[in-house]
Amino acid sequence: MSEALAASTTRTAPARLGRVLWAALLLAFLAYLPFVLSHRAAFGFRLSNVQLLNLGLSQIDLMLIAMLGALSLNFLTGCAGLISIGHAAFYATGAMTAAITGTLWGWPFPLVLLAAALSGAVTGVLAGLPSLRVRGLYFVLSTLAVHHVVIYVFLQCQLHYFDVSGVPYETAKLGAFALDTPIRWYFFLLAAVALVYWGLGNALRTREGRSMRAMRDHEMAARAAGVDVRVLRLKAFALSSAIASTAGALQAYFMTNISSEAFGLDFAIQFIAMIIIGGLGSLRGSLFGAAIWLLLPSIISGLAPQGGGAMATLVAEHKPQLVQLIFGLMVIGLLIFAPGGMAGLGRSLRVLLFPGARR
Amino acid sequence: MTPLLSIESLSVSYGRNSVALDAISLAVPSGGVVALLGANGAGKTTLIRAATGLLDFHGGAVAAGAVRFEGRPIHRMPPHARVRMGMAQVPEGRLVFKKLSVLDNLMVGASVLPAAKRADSLASIYALFPRLQERSGQAAGWLSGGEQQMLALGRALIGQPRLLLVDELSLGLAPLIVRAIYQQLRSAAERLGTAILVVEQNARLALEFASYAYVLDRGRVALSGPASEVADSKEMRDSYLGVDS
Repeated sequence: MSEALAASTTRTAPARLGRVLWAALLLAFLAYLPFVLSHRAAFGFRLSNVQLLNLGLSQIDLMLIAMLGALSLNFLTGCAGLISIGHAAFYATGAMTAAITGTLWGWPFPLVLLAAALSGAVTGVLAGLPSLRVRGLYFVLSTLAVHHVVIYVFLQCQLHYFDVSGVPYETAKLGAFALDTPIRWYFFLLAAVALVYWGLGNALRTREGRSMRAMRDHEMAARAAGVDVRVLRLKAFALSSAIASTAGALQAYFMTNISSEAFGLDFAIQFIAMIIIGGLGSLRGSLFGAAIWLLLPSIISGLAPQGGGAMATLVAEHKPQLVQLIFGLMVIGLLIFAPGGMAGLGRSLRVLLFPGARR
Repeated sequence: MTPLLSIESLSVSYGRNSVALDAISLAVPSGGVVALLGANGAGKTTLIRAATGLLDFHGGAVAAGAVRFEGRPIHRMPPHARVRMGMAQVPEGRLVFKKLSVLDNLMVGASVLPAAKRADSLASIYALFPRLQERSGQAAGWLSGGEQQMLALGRALIGQPRLLLVDELSLGLAPLIVRAIYQQLRSAAERLGTAILVVEQNARLALEFASYAYVLDRGRVALSGPASEVADSKEMRDSYLGVDS
């Protein structure tokens, strides 16, 4: 078996060199990006707002947090075949755990994250329990119920211990290293996204990950092949919601103040949009999906015409609506022309550009 | 001697009053090949489902009787636990994991084995079905029908089961391919000592392949005996094999 496995993973030397080059370029870009965005200049040249695509570093940080949510939801929905609209609830669980352990009890930040992951896993298992009995739309409805329960508990907790305006969070500190600037957050979050991406990718290649994909493909056949679907489902839920919950705690610390309204239904649904745009079942696609969802509206609004004239005034007055309109049209176009999401688009482009290459 | 699989006056119903199996008894001896024949709706697939534990998935339930594997009652156990005991299944319609590669499909089946044994078992499946090795990296959905059937068999056999339940292997396949697959299956089963319970529409082929046969009719055993006797019996000739065979 090892030979068979090895044969499928070894690549020719030039191909490997190319991959290393690409990875190095990507790393260099990711390392330099925050400095460009915060100094508004690249290699000493000042860049205009339009040249920087109307983006700021805090947006990138929020995008990285959203990537954690998209990755974990795609793991659950795209890879394990469980549809959930409870992701806002898991974020809220993390934020609530951080409020209690961090703000109230004063635990250090790493411990708070661990607590958030644990409470997220527990909530995830509870939310996943109905999946043992009901399927499809009925299960989606049960995750909706979980959403409402968690948000209600969050609100009660917020009103009891804190304020109507929200829960305050202290500055996150990793030992002596305080996450007090967007650049510091950026590198911390980048590492977190890389870790989760790598971890989930590996998880899918293990025995259980393979069984999970088998379960997504055909549940009955998976059971006939000896897969214990019930335990596997709960495990998938626990892992996915632990990640989402940690992301919720990160989001709370990043925003420094958060209230229960931040985790509404639209917050939950945006993750579904991200993984559909990115491509169901593709971890890399979830990264693209999150990036598109969080950055594209801002890019569109940065491209709006400048200067005077009736047209410009009209655009300026209705900018948010126009941005939403264009964004919506682009998403619809993407879904029509790339039904497999960005991941599917990437695959078909590769087939077009390198006919003969392995799919 | 206790048979490997024994089904004792088993009754199964779907919903509240429709009886699919009515007090059926059947035994598969260790290493034996048993065929289960009958017209559409006779209850063959239901019997297999009762044995594998996938009944509840289809809304059915055991109303009375027992299913025993090596003497132990198993009809309350979940399907995956039965697979771990050494009972593998090739479901009707093949049901390979279409988006997974051939290798991944096989490895899902191999996950019941301890890690150290998986490589050897995979090699023996590749030796049995060389086609699967040629296509190991391909998504299973791209295989031809015959290859998918080989994959479904390979996925079941790779766990080195003591009993293999095969449901409608010939469905949608060319007769020549079916015959070839049956031959490979028989040689593999003889080598591994695997007992087989096979459900088959093609009665003649199944009687050739099996040593013992049960004929079901509307949820009851209408006829049973050594395959050659069943093949020669008058009822069988009249209803399934055609008069001049």
